[in-house]
Amino acid sequence: MSQTLQDPPRALSRREWLMSDRPQSRLQARLGRAYMTWRRFSANRLAVAGLCIIVLLVLLAIFADVLAPHSPVIGDLGGARLLPPGTEGYLLGTDDQGRDILSRLLHGSRLTLLVIILVAIIAAPIGLLVGAISGYAGGWVDAVLMRITDIFLAFPKLVLALAFVAAMGPGIENAILAIAITSWPPYARIARAETLSVRNSDYIAAVRLMGASPLRVVLRHVMPMCVSSLIVRVTLDMAGIILTAAGLGFLGLGAQPPLPEWGAMIASGRRFILDQWWVATMPGVAILIVSLGFNLLGDGLRDALDPRESGQ
Amino acid sequence: MMHSLNKHFRVLATSAAMSLIVMAGAPAFAETPADTLVEGFAFDDIISMDPGEAFELSTAEMTSNTYDLLVRLDLNDTSKIKGDLAESWTVSDDGLTYTFKLKPGLKFASGNPLTAEDVAWSFERAVKIDKSPAFILTQFGLTGDNVTEKAKATDETTFVFTVDKPYAPSFVLNCLTATVASVVDKKLVLEHVEPVTPSDEYKYDNDFGNAWLKTGYAGSGAFKLREWRANEVVVLERNDNYHGEKAGLARVIYRHMKESSGQRLALEAGDIDVARNLEPGDMDAVSKNADLALASAPKGTVYYISLNQKNADLAKPEVIEAFKYLVDYDAIGATLIKGIGEIHQTFLPKGVLGELDENPYKLDVAKAKELLAKAGLADGFSVTMDVRNTQPVTGIAESFQQTLGQAGVKLEILPGDGKQTLTKYRARTHDMYIGQWGQDYFDPNSNAETFTTNPDNSDEGKNKTLAWRNAWDVPELTEETKAALLEKDNAKRAEMYQSLQKSVLEKGPFVIIFQQTEVAGYRANLKNYKLGPSFDTNYVGPVTK
Repeated sequence: MSQTLQDPPRALSRREWLMSDRPQSRLQARLGRAYMTWRRFSANRLAVAGLCIIVLLVLLAIFADVLAPHSPVIGDLGGARLLPPGTEGYLLGTDDQGRDILSRLLHGSRLTLLVIILVAIIAAPIGLLVGAISGYAGGWVDAVLMRITDIFLAFPKLVLALAFVAAMGPGIENAILAIAITSWPPYARIARAETLSVRNSDYIAAVRLMGASPLRVVLRHVMPMCVSSLIVRVTLDMAGIILTAAGLGFLGLGAQPPLPEWGAMIASGRRFILDQWWVATMPGVAILIVSLGFNLLGDGLRDALDPRESGQ
Repeated sequence: MMHSLNKHFRVLATSAAMSLIVMAGAPAFAETPADTLVEGFAFDDIISMDPGEAFELSTAEMTSNTYDLLVRLDLNDTSKIKGDLAESWTVSDDGLTYTFKLKPGLKFASGNPLTAEDVAWSFERAVKIDKSPAFILTQFGLTGDNVTEKAKATDETTFVFTVDKPYAPSFVLNCLTATVASVVDKKLVLEHVEPVTPSDEYKYDNDFGNAWLKTGYAGSGAFKLREWRANEVVVLERNDNYHGEKAGLARVIYRHMKESSGQRLALEAGDIDVARNLEPGDMDAVSKNADLALASAPKGTVYYISLNQKNADLAKPEVIEAFKYLVDYDAIGATLIKGIGEIHQTFLPKGVLGELDENPYKLDVAKAKELLAKAGLADGFSVTMDVRNTQPVTGIAESFQQTLGQAGVKLEILPGDGKQTLTKYRARTHDMYIGQWGQDYFDPNSNAETFTTNPDNSDEGKNKTLAWRNAWDVPELTEETKAALLEKDNAKRAEMYQSLQKSVLEKGPFVIIFQQTEVAGYRANLKNYKLGPSFDTNYVGPVTK
């Protein structure tokens, strides 16, 4: 960037270069668009707060080993069971096995991120592909794919995920798979709707005239158009994914002991809710904050990425 | 507008204040009647009140308070027996014939006289209807065909019981304290029998009053069963024809309350006199309240972790021993099972003949590591454990997982509901299992049989004892257990069970952790409220207010 600034012929500020309405290169055009998006996004303070929460979550997960004062799985059953928050050495108290709740929350953030990332990596591409093919091909392909999607949509997400986990056996990997399997249909619907709106546009006709195969058209020219709305939807769904994972953990079908999964932590703290409120409350607050962060971020992204509002 | 609102408000406030004054005049909490005992109790397991059919924990308490037996456990020393309906008894020299002499002038609650004929018919119906507890009688060689010969009345007050082998008399008498041997009113029940079409499984043309006795009553105990409404209430009323000391209270009402916290709140408010299903947290709260008190008694259920001997690693004797050193008994006893159990490492619960009160194992990671190294597993290994999704077993399993981890053994917990884990356990496809075993009748043989006998270790084995389920092939111990069953001398018999327990303690694939304690919270104005050593000895007769 500094080079650009020192470049005498242009003599433009960084901002002017990005905002230019006559970009000199593809790179400049793309950067310009990204900059506009960022400006719209950062104008929304709540969205920035959401982003901060998520960045903090990622940092905490990366440095959990360094930050956690105790082991997340080995506790002191005899000496430090059910200590209240603020006890020396145990900032958020301890659980029924004498484990430090703060350490478990920090290590649990890794599981939460793992679930979110894997679900997004599995479900979003499936939904995108199914939706784009369905929308572009039309006819019986569309009918078959959309009816399958309808079948998945006919069940409440958590109930379907429960059924899958019950069939595949409890465990964090199976929970991730089950959530991914149940969360792609809405993405397919969105992708299909976007595809329908672009499939008859001139540029698609032009690409086809030049002899592009249907696969190439879908992959290179249709799918990119669906991505931005999909990103928004996935981000907004993150909170739901966290809650589903926590729900499965709560029912004993998600992460298995001694993994510090937040939902499972709430489940084990439920027995002490009358007298030792912190055991269930702390992971509950963690889930609340992270879900809120993703919701705010998703809202901000929707406003920022909405093509109708992109002034250029 | 504002003005009229204020006026309304004033009227409302006045009436609210008035009603407060009126309410303050009455006692602030509901008190139970002075002649009635009200217990909060989760009795959703009751499916039948027929003593020949009932084999559930809650029903045991109802049956033992409403029916009489020939003999009962002596609560001062539960390794002994005392007469109930029987005044005295003799055992023949060959050990096959038991002759009971009944007390004179016995009467049922209905007013009908209680004779040896009623006793004989009670045995006959229990054997013939052949429900879950019938095995306690049929193990003495009784069948539907010979029961009228083997259990018969020779005169009004003499009942003769013949067994097929010279069993230890203590074994036979202990089994006769089970509720299945309760005496029912023959005359009364015969008025209520229903015809049945005989089939291959059931050869008799009537149901021996089973359908009526499911909710009916035909006994002679300290209390009469007045009413049982499933998951709602059980009402007992004093029996004035009772042959022993009459009950202190006129009525006992069991209210079905499932939740520990609900029972605690009702107990604190005085809505109930006794809360029977308190969890450790609520128990703490009750023990700190000056108006309330706690009663507790060890029960005949032990919790254990078992190691399937089909797993090559778990079959190594050093591994078995190492695992016994890898349970944090002290911490578990002080926290997870505080108040609901006490550390107990032998298979016979306290109070049973031949009990061995030895807890030699302590958490000792260094020693366990040494043993694992000796077994060639210095680097540890991975193993799974099936755990039922209930407390306290999940808590103990997690604690065990941590201590095993310290010795390098990686334990994976496989949770499931009771049915899943038990089915897997019975099919012998588990690595490890954590569960409990409650004795079926108050005799050492009940637990000894399951922990130490395994007559056929093949997968087709019929006798699915715990030893079989864990593929522990022990022909010598199987023989010893059988011999103990036939030992007439009580002291010798006790010694034999102690030696069996030592064998299991040393080399058995069972890490026995604790014995269950039953706890009840009660209001301090109750007198003589006690829990017995088994579920059929929680007598409410002596309780007064």
